[in-house]
Amino acid sequence: MGRVRYRSYRGYRGYRGCTSTLTLVAAAALVGAAVGCSNSTGSAPGTGSGGPVKSGGTLTFALDEDVTGFNSILEGDNEFVLVEMQDQTLPRVFVVQPNLKPTLDTQFVTSATVTKTNPQTIVYQINPKAVWSDGVPINADDFVYNWHAESGNPAYKDVGGKAFLPIATSGYNQIQSVTGSNGGKTVTVVMSKPYGDWQSLWSQNTPLLPAHIAQTVGFDSGFQNFGPASQVSGGPYMIQSYTKGEDLVEVRNPHYWGPPGNLSKIVYRFILADSQQPPAVQNGEVNLVNPVIASIPFLDTVKSIPNFTVSVQPSLQFQHIDFNESNPYLKLASIRHAIAYGTNRPEMISRIVTPLTTQIGPLQNRIFMPTESSFTDNSNGYGAFDPAKAKQLLQQAGMTMGSDGYFHPNFGPEKGQDFSLSISTTAGVEVRAEIEQLLQANMKAIGIKLNIQNYAANTLFGTIGPKGEFDIIEFAWVISPFKSVIKSVYCSYTDTGDCQNNWDHYANPTVDSLFTQALTSMDPAQAAALYNQIDGQLWTDMVTLPLFQAPDLYGWSSSYANVIPNTSNVGIPWNANQWGAK
Amino acid sequence: MWAYLLRRTAAGILVLLVLSFAMFILVALSGDPLAQLRASPGTSPATIAAAAAQLHLNQPLVERYWGWLTGLVLHGSLGSSYTGQPVGSQIAQRLTVTLKLVVPAVLLSLLIGVVVGVVSAVRQYKPVDHISTGLAYLFFSTPVFVLGLLLKDFLAVDVNKAAGHTLLYTVGESTPGINGSWNVFVNEVQHAVLPVLTLTLITYATWSRFQRAAMLDVLNADYIRLARAKGLSPRRVLFVHALRNALIPVTTIVAIDFAALLGGALVTEIVFSWYGMGQYLYNGLTGAESPDVYAVQGWLMVAGTAVIVFNILADLLYGLLDPRVRYA
Repeated sequence: MGRVRYRSYRGYRGYRGCTSTLTLVAAAALVGAAVGCSNSTGSAPGTGSGGPVKSGGTLTFALDEDVTGFNSILEGDNEFVLVEMQDQTLPRVFVVQPNLKPTLDTQFVTSATVTKTNPQTIVYQINPKAVWSDGVPINADDFVYNWHAESGNPAYKDVGGKAFLPIATSGYNQIQSVTGSNGGKTVTVVMSKPYGDWQSLWSQNTPLLPAHIAQTVGFDSGFQNFGPASQVSGGPYMIQSYTKGEDLVEVRNPHYWGPPGNLSKIVYRFILADSQQPPAVQNGEVNLVNPVIASIPFLDTVKSIPNFTVSVQPSLQFQHIDFNESNPYLKLASIRHAIAYGTNRPEMISRIVTPLTTQIGPLQNRIFMPTESSFTDNSNGYGAFDPAKAKQLLQQAGMTMGSDGYFHPNFGPEKGQDFSLSISTTAGVEVRAEIEQLLQANMKAIGIKLNIQNYAANTLFGTIGPKGEFDIIEFAWVISPFKSVIKSVYCSYTDTGDCQNNWDHYANPTVDSLFTQALTSMDPAQAAALYNQIDGQLWTDMVTLPLFQAPDLYGWSSSYANVIPNTSNVGIPWNANQWGAK
Repeated sequence: MWAYLLRRTAAGILVLLVLSFAMFILVALSGDPLAQLRASPGTSPATIAAAAAQLHLNQPLVERYWGWLTGLVLHGSLGSSYTGQPVGSQIAQRLTVTLKLVVPAVLLSLLIGVVVGVVSAVRQYKPVDHISTGLAYLFFSTPVFVLGLLLKDFLAVDVNKAAGHTLLYTVGESTPGINGSWNVFVNEVQHAVLPVLTLTLITYATWSRFQRAAMLDVLNADYIRLARAKGLSPRRVLFVHALRNALIPVTTIVAIDFAALLGGALVTEIVFSWYGMGQYLYNGLTGAESPDVYAVQGWLMVAGTAVIVFNILADLLYGLLDPRVRYA
């Protein structure tokens, strides 16, 4: 899960991988929940179109962000677009499917099994044929190196004795040992404590870097510039060329041991302004688009292009408001509930989202999205729009309605004055500004004066949020299918080590205990039940109010088959090796 | 002459120095390059601290500026951006892109602007003057992104449809994978047509108005009446006596505009997905690990130097165009 700052940083939203073993039928079935529209013929809405494809040809995918380097595991390089482009070039053990379930890439690892629960032991069998594009076998050394780099353990050093700078250490910091056997093709991982999300290891946003290259050029600096190091591939495609600000071209990896990709070339074209993508589609220069913000003008334009399929689907990104419980009023759950009851989420959705899709409603779970099978409505009615109840709760909290239509607290620093709170978000983001304005009107209706105080994204996420210098903050979270990272947001803020992302000063030992159980559970169903229990408690405590999922827009030329949207944090090129010209 | 040049250069360097210090401080204080990292769940404090040290964020600002300045003065280095890449080579690549866009656009604009301005002045209040004035105001007042989109929609798409294949491209500087230097050249020209045309239309519109006004001033001057009275041919009066003097104010505008365009034609670059100097600055201020103070400093050195150099060049050109300046 990650925060979404502004347009150019969809970054933490997602990480992907690809598997060459999926069948088209299975893949298409997995996106059955998708919704969309198409102006092409013969393709089911939102599912992409299947059918026989030719071998060869080029597909050009417009991206709205360039890369800053080629190591997606390195802090600073961890951008969504890079993860997208490395879907087909770096191996991952598990790949999240369009149904948001991780599936083993059996071309890379023929099996990954938990063989022992205490201590948790996982055994990976690497495909004997698996080799990097320079001919070096992919083996246990790669797993060991990547574990060291991502462990956060200062005992392990990058070239020149420098510290590794990984984007995250989750899971890897719980590994006790990684050993190879069977000529390095069997990898045995022993965890120091149970890790329920073990399928996220060497998967998703942490693909496998070639150890023999990284050990030479350096993890932190060796992949900063395009060159031979960043061209080494362990997937169906490899990077052929990269021109800063222009494009990145991938061609088939001649050393790939599995079925080769259908297309002979995939071009990632950097068109930073989304508004410039539709003309490029019209002119035949671009075949696939996926803008960060699905806007009505963009949708209308691409829908009007002949032979172009368009699909709008609920994404894993959702807007929400957080309450800072260090505020003397917001520390009272009744006031937080009053604000939630006073928030007209259906109206927000009808204004902001419905013009794009009617499939999105008020979000009733902040850990699982409705498109995930473990989703349940845990809101227990707390998210309902009920202004009368909101006023009643404010009165019960010790407030009196003033003659000017605002409540006056009978306690605290605003005693006898209009009850005022501030709301902050990133300045210049249209959707968020609209949310704030609607919320401001909603709060006025229940007697709360809401002042808008916005900041540049860097300030909001660098200072205002982490230092808790807000009353209410509004931004977007991006949900990962692997839930363990959520702990750092909701576990008790007093634990500054594990809970550094709890900006809301929320603390509940029950939630802490449930997280401990969920994170160590080896049973996915049990873990999901525990996460839902946590979400139920978060509704009861009204820590945050989830608003709605953002819509994702995908569009592709109907002359291509097997283009299948994936709203998880792996993105649309998750199966790019199966894309092909009809 | 040389003393004048030295004085102007010294003053320019001083301005750059002051500007670089102010820019360094302001940019560095305008945001946190590690904000994204800090907000990412699962990032350890040790990683954040190491990243801060790597970017020198743990040093006092003045010390950081001094380090950058001594690197520039002693080693001619513009340093490394926060993404770890040398700013000097980045700037060189971006400047090359910008030059491909700006040089043809400026040359075309100058040619069209001068011709249109002269014709408008000579044919003042005649139909051709009204038409050229109307067009100039139209292009002058049309936002670049609107003009770019119109050219894409109503020129490129239609021309390509009529031709049956792609003659004009709407994004990027070239198509990847083209072989052969001639084919690459043709492909680059096909990509350059629309952005150059956009920039030309916007730029010529302004310059033609300056040229018209300057020409009208000169045509009504006494020495032109004298030249005509002396029986010089209209062609000689126009091109040798009038135009030469009327070029002086336009020279100033062209020099200033050209220098500014070298800093990047940001909107044109964005509309046509050209990654030149403008987008480099924009990325430095808003991209990953921004604000990237070193990238911005690199841009400032080039753009600032261009402004100073072209202003000096404009002064020198005055001398060539106007002997009174040369002999003063």
